[in-house]
Amino acid sequence: MNIRISVRRFHPDSGEPPRWQEYEIPHAPRMTVLEALLHIYERLDPTLAFRFGCRFSKCGLCAVEVNGRPRMACFTEVRDRMRIGPLSRMPVVRDLVVDRAGFLESLRALELYLPDSQTPPSAPAVVRCPEAREKLLLCIECLGCNATCPETCPFDPGRAGPYVFVKLAQLHFDPRDGRDRRAQARKLGIERCLECRKCYCINGIDIQRHAIAVLAAAESVHPEQPCRS
Amino acid sequence: MESLQADVLVVGAGGAGVTAAVEARKAGAAVVLVSKEPVGYGDTRISLGAMSASPDPASGDSEEAFIEDMIRGGDFLNDPDLVAALVRDALDAALTFESYGHLFFRDEAGVLKRLEVPPGGHRASRTITSPSVGVSMGHVMRAAAARADFPVLEEAICSELLLHEGRVVGAAVLRLATGTPLAILARSTILAAGGAGALYYPHTDCMPSVVGDSFGLALSAGAELVDMEQVQFIPFGITHPPAMLGAPCGEPSMAGPFGRLLNCRDEIVLENIMTMTRAQVARIIMEEIRKGGATPWGGLKLDLRPNLDSPVGELFVGLLKKFGGPFLDVIRKAYGEKAVRLEEPWDVLPSAHYNMGGVKTDPDCRTCLPGLYACGQAQGGVMGGNRLGSTSLTEIFVFGRRSGRAAAREAARLGRLPEPEVARPAFDSLQSLPGRRGSFRPIELKRSLQRLMWENVGPLRDAKGLGTALEEIRRLREAARELKIAGVRAYNQEAADAVELRHMLAAAEAIALSAQERRESRGAHVRADFPNRDETEPVRNMVVRLVDGACTVRAVERGR
Repeated sequence: MNIRISVRRFHPDSGEPPRWQEYEIPHAPRMTVLEALLHIYERLDPTLAFRFGCRFSKCGLCAVEVNGRPRMACFTEVRDRMRIGPLSRMPVVRDLVVDRAGFLESLRALELYLPDSQTPPSAPAVVRCPEAREKLLLCIECLGCNATCPETCPFDPGRAGPYVFVKLAQLHFDPRDGRDRRAQARKLGIERCLECRKCYCINGIDIQRHAIAVLAAAESVHPEQPCRS
Repeated sequence: MESLQADVLVVGAGGAGVTAAVEARKAGAAVVLVSKEPVGYGDTRISLGAMSASPDPASGDSEEAFIEDMIRGGDFLNDPDLVAALVRDALDAALTFESYGHLFFRDEAGVLKRLEVPPGGHRASRTITSPSVGVSMGHVMRAAAARADFPVLEEAICSELLLHEGRVVGAAVLRLATGTPLAILARSTILAAGGAGALYYPHTDCMPSVVGDSFGLALSAGAELVDMEQVQFIPFGITHPPAMLGAPCGEPSMAGPFGRLLNCRDEIVLENIMTMTRAQVARIIMEEIRKGGATPWGGLKLDLRPNLDSPVGELFVGLLKKFGGPFLDVIRKAYGEKAVRLEEPWDVLPSAHYNMGGVKTDPDCRTCLPGLYACGQAQGGVMGGNRLGSTSLTEIFVFGRRSGRAAAREAARLGRLPEPEVARPAFDSLQSLPGRRGSFRPIELKRSLQRLMWENVGPLRDAKGLGTALEEIRRLREAARELKIAGVRAYNQEAADAVELRHMLAAAEAIALSAQERRESRGAHVRADFPNRDETEPVRNMVVRLVDGACTVRAVERGR
């Protein structure tokens, strides 16, 4: 049985606007969107550009939009008449490939890392972290959440999107991080997120509860303070 | 011609490459980090996040015991100096990675916690684990790259190393987003681009990008590779649906005391799986498949039901539910709930996982070529013929640190770099890729080579298959002179495929040639025509290098 799917095509050098292109592909039971894209690239169209990695939903590289919603291409079954496009609200390099380099830049610009201690300790540190940090580490950095955020603008550090709030919350829960990540989140306008609540994570992180509410809370009242040691 | 200069160039940005780059920078070097994928998207990211740290003397364990376990596990092919370096630095390397932002699991008091049950082959538990498995390390690698003040080139694929007066002086790369070539001149160059699991795609649980770039780059420049025939296949990979072929779904230890393997006629092929190595189990599965015992999905059936009927087995089932999470997720997705409850057998087939072989180095990661270093899975000799569980993350951090420091130290002693013109031929060759009008698409040849490797140089080998493989590799190399490549510049996947294809052919030839020359079964290398270890000869390493442009292998007594 064959199915028809539409893929969003865009080539920056062509001077043409993005367009939908339809492909007819043979379908097999439990076939995935990634298999469909690979079929197109390997058999039908050598110019189709997309990213993929581990194939088993572990690496986060193949996120695309399927019928307007972010999905991992490798773990989404393909169906007739599906429309597959790049993640929204991100600059498109070509076809389904969005510019991810901006996200390394935002890690840099917003200092989303531990302060550099220069010399690592000679013995393992005694560190206790709240469980919430582990939940936030489920993030596979697919950037799907940003595609669901009406405010995201990747190259405006003031509108960095939910991905950055997840990173800030990870650091907030790390007792080794001395910075005030809540103050940073306030500067980035987190209070707007408290009302919006439109973003979500396709990997099951409760972004509202474990990142946004935590960062937007006043310092003294939040029950999930990290234990300092 | 666009060019950059550095003291230290690092090729590859998984755990090994990021560590090498950060440590070289800390030692004062000007660093450039080049990554084929976005930073932190190598095999480290999709690993289990489990790492062997130092032995715990309180449990009677010692460095000597750890070294002995690795060498016995490696079937005596390991370079003892490399093993000693790994064991000695293991804890420091873990702490270094924590200083980049990682945190291994602690107990309730906040103290670093070792796994209760050690992975197979370890006599004591040295293994520490990570929350959310390897992806938490992915976060840290990106954070470490962001924190460092050196240029990070993401999605830039390295086509060849630059040579000048007998030294490696950097590399030529293709930037995928724009399609522009770039020459990077460097006093020291570190290869940290991982192994070649994806030479067996889709029969692999590795990232599809790890096709052997490290090996192809090193070999073509004139460096030596060691024991390339040693490719580790995990015995239990998923067989279907096709989208999940190769996904890892268990270790021998996961079979429990009563797990067994069944063939298509429901005959028992193997019991007592738990006590065997990955290579032994993979071998028996492939032998049974060759005898015609395969299920319609091409594998054998792993039957864990007998564990449910005994108290000992039940204890094991409890452990499995507690620690087997990542595997159970994969099994659930492929085979459903009944399989996860162990109430029905499921299909398994070996899957390429790790290259023990690699670039031959000393304990400071120096290769035989001045200016060239290798670390992590790119490196050979650390694991010998078989890698014990949880030692590869130790390898990447230990030797990432060592290579970064040595490369920085030695770069500081060197004077001027050559002019960028030294990169002209490499640059022009990259420039000419888009729009080539030959007969073969690079992806066709890649897929042919991957099929060839699985069918002839997989978990069970013989002289005939290896001969076929070498002949076909030569034929594919001829075909690769006639490539047909799309004309676009921005994100031209075919151009990237063309660069990869060259590395893949070199790596594949090195593996097949070493496998042909090793006329015995040792470690992960299993020959149907030489089923046993050759005890008449001293233990030998297979060393591959180019001689007058041709890949040649010689057997060298271990330690020479």
